Formats: sequence, structure tokens, C-alpha cells
Amino acid sequence: MHLSTRWGRWWEEDRWMGQLLILPMQLLIWFVLIIPMLIVIYLSLVSWQPIMGVDWWQAPFAGLRNYAQALQDQRFLSALGRTIGLVLAAVGLEFLLGLALALFFHYQEFPAKRIFSSIILYPMMLPWVVVGLCFYLLFLDKGPVNYVLIQLFGPGASVQWYQNPLLALMTIVLADIWQWTPFMFLVIYSGLGALPPEPVEAAMTLGASRWQIFRHIVLPMLKPVILIALIIRSLEAFKIFDLVYIMTGGGPGTSTESLSLYLYRTGFVYGQLSYAAAMALLVLILVALVARLMVRPLEMELESR
Amino acid sequence: MSKEQILIRLEELTKEFNGTVAVQDLSLEIREREFLCFLGPSGCGKTTTLRMIAGLERPTRGEIYLRDQRITDWPPQRRNIGFMFQNYALFHHMSVYDNLAFGLRVRGISRMEIERRVRSIAQALELESVLHLRASRLDLSTMQRVALARILVIEPQVLLLDEPLNNFRPGLRELMRAELKRWQYQFGRTMIYVTHDQEEAMTLGDRIVVMNAGRVEQVGTPDEVYWHPATLFVASFIGRPPMNLIPVEYRISEGRAFVRSPDFEIKVDQRRSIIEQSQALPHLILGIRPEQLRIWDPQGSFPTSWTRLPVQIDLVRPLGRKLILDVKTPSGLMLQMIVPSTRHFAPGERVEVAFDPEQIFLFDPQTGRGLY
Amino acid sequence: MHKRTWVSGLIRWGIVLAISVLTLTPVVWVLSLSFKPPQEWLAYPPTLIPRQPTLENYLVLFWPGNPVGVVSEMVRTAEPVTRAFINSLIIVPISTALSIIIGFLAAYGISRFRAGGNFLPFSVLTTRMFPPIAFAVPLLVYYRSLGLIDTHLGLILMYTTFTLAFSLWMIKGFIDSVPRHIEEAAILDGASRWRVMFTITLPLIRGGLAAAALFVFIMNWTEFLFALIFTSRFAVTLPVQVSRYAGAVGRYYGPQAALGIVASIPVLVAGYMIQRYLVRAFTFGLVK
Repeated sequence: MHLSTRWGRWWEEDRWMGQLLILPMQLLIWFVLIIPMLIVIYLSLVSWQPIMGVDWWQAPFAGLRNYAQALQDQRFLSALGRTIGLVLAAVGLEFLLGLALALFFHYQEFPAKRIFSSIILYPMMLPWVVVGLCFYLLFLDKGPVNYVLIQLFGPGASVQWYQNPLLALMTIVLADIWQWTPFMFLVIYSGLGALPPEPVEAAMTLGASRWQIFRHIVLPMLKPVILIALIIRSLEAFKIFDLVYIMTGGGPGTSTESLSLYLYRTGFVYGQLSYAAAMALLVLILVALVARLMVRPLEMELESR
Repeated sequence: MSKEQILIRLEELTKEFNGTVAVQDLSLEIREREFLCFLGPSGCGKTTTLRMIAGLERPTRGEIYLRDQRITDWPPQRRNIGFMFQNYALFHHMSVYDNLAFGLRVRGISRMEIERRVRSIAQALELESVLHLRASRLDLSTMQRVALARILVIEPQVLLLDEPLNNFRPGLRELMRAELKRWQYQFGRTMIYVTHDQEEAMTLGDRIVVMNAGRVEQVGTPDEVYWHPATLFVASFIGRPPMNLIPVEYRISEGRAFVRSPDFEIKVDQRRSIIEQSQALPHLILGIRPEQLRIWDPQGSFPTSWTRLPVQIDLVRPLGRKLILDVKTPSGLMLQMIVPSTRHFAPGERVEVAFDPEQIFLFDPQTGRGLY
Repeated sequence: MHKRTWVSGLIRWGIVLAISVLTLTPVVWVLSLSFKPPQEWLAYPPTLIPRQPTLENYLVLFWPGNPVGVVSEMVRTAEPVTRAFINSLIIVPISTALSIIIGFLAAYGISRFRAGGNFLPFSVLTTRMFPPIAFAVPLLVYYRSLGLIDTHLGLILMYTTFTLAFSLWMIKGFIDSVPRHIEEAAILDGASRWRVMFTITLPLIRGGLAAAALFVFIMNWTEFLFALIFTSRFAVTLPVQVSRYAGAVGRYYGPQAALGIVASIPVLVAGYMIQRYLVRAFTFGLVK
């Protein structure tokens, strides 16, 4: 090793070392991500199912047929719509609850705050399948939830949660909210804690009430943090699979099927890999577009700081 | 329009944080329209005191009165004071206009009235051109003006400023100081200013409150704290270069009182009664400011009563029109003096130094109190 | 600033308690279910504390045909979960370690050498955005040709790659916070770049590495989709086993609950240890 004679930029001299360092990652990414991405595009443009008995690189060309089919596929479209609805409902409620919790923890004094924060956070750690299992057991016909309902509202209040599509969806949303509200809480709470105290104090000396300070000072300052949390959580929620699989299996029928679940079934249960590939790519494009849209206000926020 | 009216009264204000005392029994009267400076090193309690006056900290003990109304428990919102923070604390996500209008909007003032007041202040502080800009895009000196304008527009009873000029490099700092002084005079408001820079306090303040370790060392005009420092701390904190402090011994010989150092001896009969109250006798500390030491010139018109002693020049530091000389006395004592740079000095050169023995300062080494 | 009356204090405590109850209830319910004998599974009214607690449900997971007790009769035909448990114990730590190691190397390269230009970090980030299904489809095809289906190696490769985004961003944040002049001083003393990386930078971010490792551990341990698709017999992991078990034993809720608890313990422990770093991890270091 030698130091460059140009003192300021010596670290960039050992360029080969830098390349070497990222080599393992490059290899993995190519192997597991990039090549498959190419294959997916290829697959979506051909017509191939494993049962056809030919190797995948010999599959007959199909052009954009798969895509056209997807856009007219009722099941696909309703899964898409359903998933979007799930995301809106779940993330929306998570945000409101998380905000309320964060405000409560930030502005109120009570002992053992640390311990309670820890308790609140643990649902995020649990495997999705376990959460699904938990809530599945809770909402059984003879389960605790129905028991409580009966106690409160009488014998007729017992609900068959999994027989009704809307109710089943509700249980899924509830499970997701239970698991991920802590995330919103955590991010917003940290954001609140990281706010500089001076603008708030300045607002106080200028005569603003606590509510006015919150609305005009704190909330705008939290905007970037909130946006990041919403974007990240929405993207993750869109991929929802495990919960639906465990709790309802997409049922009754296919009325609670999420997008990921339908894609999974198409590709890995029915074996229509080409079709699944096309749908996956459609979803990819959609997600990329939406993400781009959602990131734009964030960029603007960060820029004007 | 009497300057003697008391605006704020602090009574034995004390603030403790987790066992450490930040401010101890501070009592003070602040007059209307005065420019008052709290001066002291970091951690002396000056900012804490300011924040208590603002209501941002709650005193552990003591009371605060605003025009004879007890406001100790009042939240900042009620006090109608203006507070300027060290980093200005502007609302970065708002425009300058909205920053200025904020204090008025939260009071429910009508839009027309807000417009009128904001524009008038903006004009007075030359902010009209930036009113529409986002506060985060301003340069420092403009930010300072916006911060000031934001406070002035709500017409508070008093302005509190927490070291607002710290962010400025030296040249600009003096300029902004002059601006602040001008505005205070122009708008006729009471200003309470916190700083650790003694030069700043001396140039800005009508009165200075010198603080150290949570206690008030002295309250007085710049003249008073400079020429009649109440304690050793004040004497050595104010003035640059700092006052020379020389340990001396008090002796009575043939019925006359002297203070004696290895290099010189001074008669102190006039102050004898005060000196003899000190518990630390025979040890005292003698103080003499750098500008009080002159180079002895045989042709010059120095009175013969002046004390003279020979010294050797150790270091010469030019300061434009003046020079700072570090000199060493025969007994090895280092003194600093300031002289005009009309004459050239070289290190190692031997000269004679003279001073007026009646103008020296004496301090009790135990209590730090000045003996006048 | 405001006086608090005892009433508002009570309300505050009430809210805190309500939140805690809501948070704890599902898991507590499952926990209690896991200790209940069959007759209490669907007992009405449901009880929180089992009247006749038993460890059978747990036992039966690993030893279905065991001669003790009643439950084993019911689930005799079910698979023991031992294999899935061991598989998770193999696959997850290994892929976690790999992810951290490769992530560390790459993060160092990006931080200190700006390797990969400006493009690389963000492209890695985008891998998290896309639905895994999009990758699963081609990977199935691809893996089949390579014979990686239902193998530990296949899954390890996948898990390592998909968690690289996390590892990279978290670790890069930690490396960035190490001042360069510390490394420069060592280089002036004659150390090689490699040596500096391992003996100086690495120890300084030990805590951060541990946190990142625990995160990746949690992510890998709970991963379901890929495990479901790419394993069938040999490499089945715990989450898949949980879903299978639910299907296999139908109404035998006790063992299911027990399995859920067993599958959760490692991540709960890991999660407890990394609380400090939660925000940074979940937001890819964008929020500290």
C-alpha cells in the first residue's frame, strides 16, 4: 500500500480495493436479483408452464399476450383493488394510532416509560405467521373475541368472522395494525424526540398555545419523518402475504385474496409461471410509479431545508 | 419618561438542577428602557436566569415581578416578553412574513392589522425584500434581523437576548452590536442581554450584571465595573488585557501603613481603616490595569509621587496604535502593560515603569472583595 | 407548567394500562392456550389461566407419538417440528452472518472508496421495494436448473441477498460515523488498508454490527414466502412449519399455539436486545 502524493484524495487511489470489497455483494446481486429479473422479463413474454414438459428456454414466444390477459383478469384486478384498500385502511389507521401514541408518550409524564415502550414494540418482532396464527385463534367462532362480544352485547353478537369476506378482511387489517402500529409509533416518537427545542420555546414566548404550537410548528417539522414512515410501511404492506395465507387462505373462496397471494397461486400452485411473471412485472411497474409519486413530496421537503 | 421606573424585580431567585445550583439567591431590579447585560463565563447562570425571566425555566425558589405583578408561575405565553435565541430559532418551514406574523396570528389579530404591523416592522429593519423567502434560505445577519423583528412586532414589554451574536465573525460582530444598540434606543424597549464577552457587555450595556458560579459579583455601569470592581473576579474578568494582580504584604512601620511587594512599596494611609477590617491580613492582592503602567520618561511630566520600578521587556505584541508589553520585574513577577506604539521596544530591553500609587486597587485575597 | 390533578393522573395510567393490555393480549392468549389440555382449548367461557396446565403441547411438537398424555394420540401422524427447528437454526444464523460480512465489506467499500458510484446504494434499496413474488418466479425456474430447490444453500443465498439492503445501509451509517482521521493515522503508521479495516474500524462499530446482525436475524427467522416456495422436505424452516402444522392438525389448537410460541422466542430475545437501534434499522438509516 502506498499513500498518494495528492494528500487530499488518497483514499480514492486504492480503487481496486474498493471494487474488491463490493465484489461479493455484486456477485450475489447478479446471481439472485439481476439475472432473475432478466428471466422474469423473458418469461413474461413467452408462454411456459412446467407441465408442458419443455425446458424454459425453449418456450414458445407469446408477446404481450400475458399482459393483456392480466389486465382483463377479474381475479387479478380485484386482488389488486383489495390489496390497495387493505394498505390504505391498515396504514392509515396505523398512522393515526401511532401518532396518538407517540404524542401521548412524548408529552405525558409517567414512570417506567422505558418499560412500556419496550412492551409496545415487541409485536414488530414476531414472525408474521405467528401473528396470523394468534389472531386466527382469537377470532375463532368459540374464541375469546366472540366471548367478549357476547358478554357485552348478548348471545346474538357472536360473529363468524371467517365466513364473511368483509369481516375476514377486517381481521387481517386488525392483525396488521396490531403488528405495525408500533412501527409508526416508534418512528414518530423518535422524530418528536429529535426535534430542536428552540423553535417550540420561541413559539411559546410568542404567545402560542400548546395546540397552536403542535399544529403550526411541530407537525410541519415532523413531515419528512412521517412521510418516510408512510412510504416504507405502505410499500411493505402492499406485499402482504403471510397474514392472509395463515388466517384465511384467501377465503372464503377468493374474496380475501391479496395480490401476492394470487400471484403465488398462479405461479406455484397452478404452475402458470409465464402468466405470473407478467402480472408480477405489471405490479412492479405500478409500485415503482407509485413510489416515485410518493417520494416526490419527500424530496421537496428535504430540499428546502 | 423616567428611566428610574422598575420594570422587573427578581427576588432571591434560585435554580437547582439535580443537586447542582445554577443560580443562587439572585435579587435584582431591572429598569424600564435600560439595556442590561448579564456577563459571565460559561455556566455562571446567566442564561438560566434569562430563561427564568422568560418563563422557560421554573425557579426552584424566589419570585419574579413584572410591574409589581407576581409572574413567577406564569407560562411564557402570558408574559408578553420577546426572547431571542442564540441560533435565532426561526421557523424554517415558514416564510419570513409568516415568521413575523406568527406571534400576531396566535393572538387572533385581524389579517389587516397583521399586514400593517408586519410591513411596518419590515420596513424599519430593512426586511421588505426578503418577506416572501423561506426562513431557511437566509444568511445569518438577515436571520438575526428577522428574529428581532419577530419579537418587536408583538410589542413586548421587554426583550431577552441570549448571546445572539455568537455566530458572527469578529468584524461583523461589532457591526451587529452597533445595530442592536441603535434599535434598542430607537424602539425604546427594555433589553436584557446575555453574553460571555466582556467587551460586548461594556460597549452595549447601560448596566452590567457580572455573574460567576450562580452568584452576582457586581451590578453597575461599565464605568463602575471597570474602575471600581467589587471583587477580584470582576477585576480580572473585565478589561483586556486583564488587570495585573500582585500579591503584597500589609505592614505598619513608624506609624504609617504600607503595602509591600519585593519590587516596590506603597503608602496606603487613606485606606487604612478599610484594609484593617480584612481577615486575610497581612496578605492582600494589589491590582493595576495595563494602561495604568507607563514607561518612565525623564523628560516627561510624571509626578514625583509616582512609584517607579525597573523591568525587563519579555515580549512585544503590536496591536496597531498600541503595543502590549509583557515585562518582568526584578523579583520575577510578570506584568502586562499597554503603551502607545510611538516608540519601538525590543525583547530584553530594560526600561523603567511608573504608575500612580493612589490609583491602585486592593483586594482581600480570601473573600475577593475590593477594599475601597 | 400545568398542575396535574389526581384525576388526570388516573386517566393517564388508565390509557397506559389499556395500551399494554391490547398489546399483550393476543400473545398472552396464545401462551395460555399452549399450556392448556385439549378439553380447555375451546372451553366456554375462555379462561386466561389453564385449570390443568400441561407441557404436552410442547412435547408433542418434537415427539408426536410420545406415550405421555392425550394430545399425542391426536397428532400422532403429524411431523415432528424438530427438523424445521434445526433447519431454521442452521439457515438463519449462516445467512445472517454472511449478510453482515458481505454487507460490511461492501459498506466499507462504498463509504471509504465510493465504490459503485452513486448508483449502487439506491439500486440496492430498490430491491426492498419490489414484491418478492417478482423474484420468486424466475428464481424457481433458475434454481430448478441448478438443483438448488429445497436445499439449505439455496435458501441461504436468497436470504443473504435480500437482507443485504438492510445490512448495507445500517453498517454504512456506522462506518460513516467513524472519523477518517483515525484510519489515516494508522495508515501513516504503516498499516495496510486491509489491516486498518479489520483491526481499527471493525472493532469501533462492534455494537452497530451486532445490532444489524440481530435485525437481519429477525428478518430471516420470520421469512415465509420464499421458504414456502423453495422448500418442501429437507430445508423447511419454522415459519413454514407453523403454517403446515395449522393445516395438518386442524382443530388441535394447543400444539399450534405451542409451536407459535416456540417459533417466536428467539426473535423476541433478539428484539429485546436491539431496541436502541430500531428506528434506524426500519427506516434504512434515513431517520436516526
